[in-house]
Amino acid sequence: MCSGCGAPPLAGHWTDAGGASAADRLRIRAARAQVLARVLAPHGLGVRDGLLVPGLTLLASGGRQALVADLDALWAAAARLNGQGVDPLAGPVGG
Amino acid sequence: MRLTILAGFLGAGKTTWLRHQRHIGAFADCHIIVNEAADQAVDDLLLQDAARLSLIAGGCVCCDARDRLKRVLHQICDAQSTGQGPSEILLETSGLAEPAAIVAMLAADPILQRHIRLQEVIVLVDAREAPAQIGREPLCRAQIGAADRIILTKIDQTPQPLHALRLGLAALAPAAAITAAVQGVAVDLPALDPNAQPLRWAQARGEPIIAHSLDLTGVDWPSLSVWLSALVHQHGENILRIKGIVDTPAGSLLLQSVGRTIQPPEQRSDPPGRLVVIGRGTSLCALTDSLRLWAGLAAPD
Repeated sequence: MCSGCGAPPLAGHWTDAGGASAADRLRIRAARAQVLARVLAPHGLGVRDGLLVPGLTLLASGGRQALVADLDALWAAAARLNGQGVDPLAGPVGG
Repeated sequence: MRLTILAGFLGAGKTTWLRHQRHIGAFADCHIIVNEAADQAVDDLLLQDAARLSLIAGGCVCCDARDRLKRVLHQICDAQSTGQGPSEILLETSGLAEPAAIVAMLAADPILQRHIRLQEVIVLVDAREAPAQIGREPLCRAQIGAADRIILTKIDQTPQPLHALRLGLAALAPAAAITAAVQGVAVDLPALDPNAQPLRWAQARGEPIIAHSLDLTGVDWPSLSVWLSALVHQHGENILRIKGIVDTPAGSLLLQSVGRTIQPPEQRSDPPGRLVVIGRGTSLCALTDSLRLWAGLAAPD
């Protein structure tokens, strides 16, 4: 429950279920940031995960950036920032 | 609380089936929510012996009456918080509801997400009407595509053998179990004729629906979760279902999706296996190559 607005936040994103302990979840986030950096780079995007704060920062050319809560929001923001989104079934991926 | 969604096109026999289930003692400690698109409700009268019953009439719960469904579910969650709630909920949708839209609503609501676990989507299909209905009504096809279990009804009134229809339904919903019932009473279906040809309907969007089984060897959880989230975001309308037990640092998790919504994964004791992706216009080769590239693995030869 948020003490500011009284609304319960959404339970964690489904991707958080993979970690049983806090250490696991941190390791998964670090690994996830590496995967994201690799797949976003060919689309002119970058990502930063502060690990100790919630959410991710999506970075685009010209210093534009978007703070996103989870991966669903990240793909939507990617489409806004690069104009076409990131399609896993098409387009390049760095090796 | 477990939630079962009972869907099916208009006149498929949802209420008849449910009445019989109640008669034989199923869904006993269950809050039943009946939705009727028409203002004049009848189904609630047929089920009035149920101890907990809510009626949502004059609108369909997947679209214009969605907020009313949310309110009813919130009230049930409130009751559960004070120890007076049921152990399960059954939602009998109107014949015009799309189950995937209801699943998406559940996943997007913070309260419902914490209290309610989707148990099963049961879709009733009228064996007499289905061959024509499925060709005519995209909605009917969408309902079938969201099913975990398909129950063929009125099979005593169909003269033709059901092999072609059953194979046709299996092609629309490859992951769904197909059973049959007459007046709600379960009936065994004969073994499928190996030479039968599936019924085919003109595809609304041109491409056949295919179930692919993906090999996850070497794919770690961070890569899989990044890839899957991008896949359903970009291709949600063509990826109908995802289902599989996957390996994660937290153990085996059951992953399932309906449309664009990936449900909260469930801990399982079963060993991880392959991931089934059911989609329209997708190829196994494209999915596998893409997954392996995103996971930083070489594409298979």
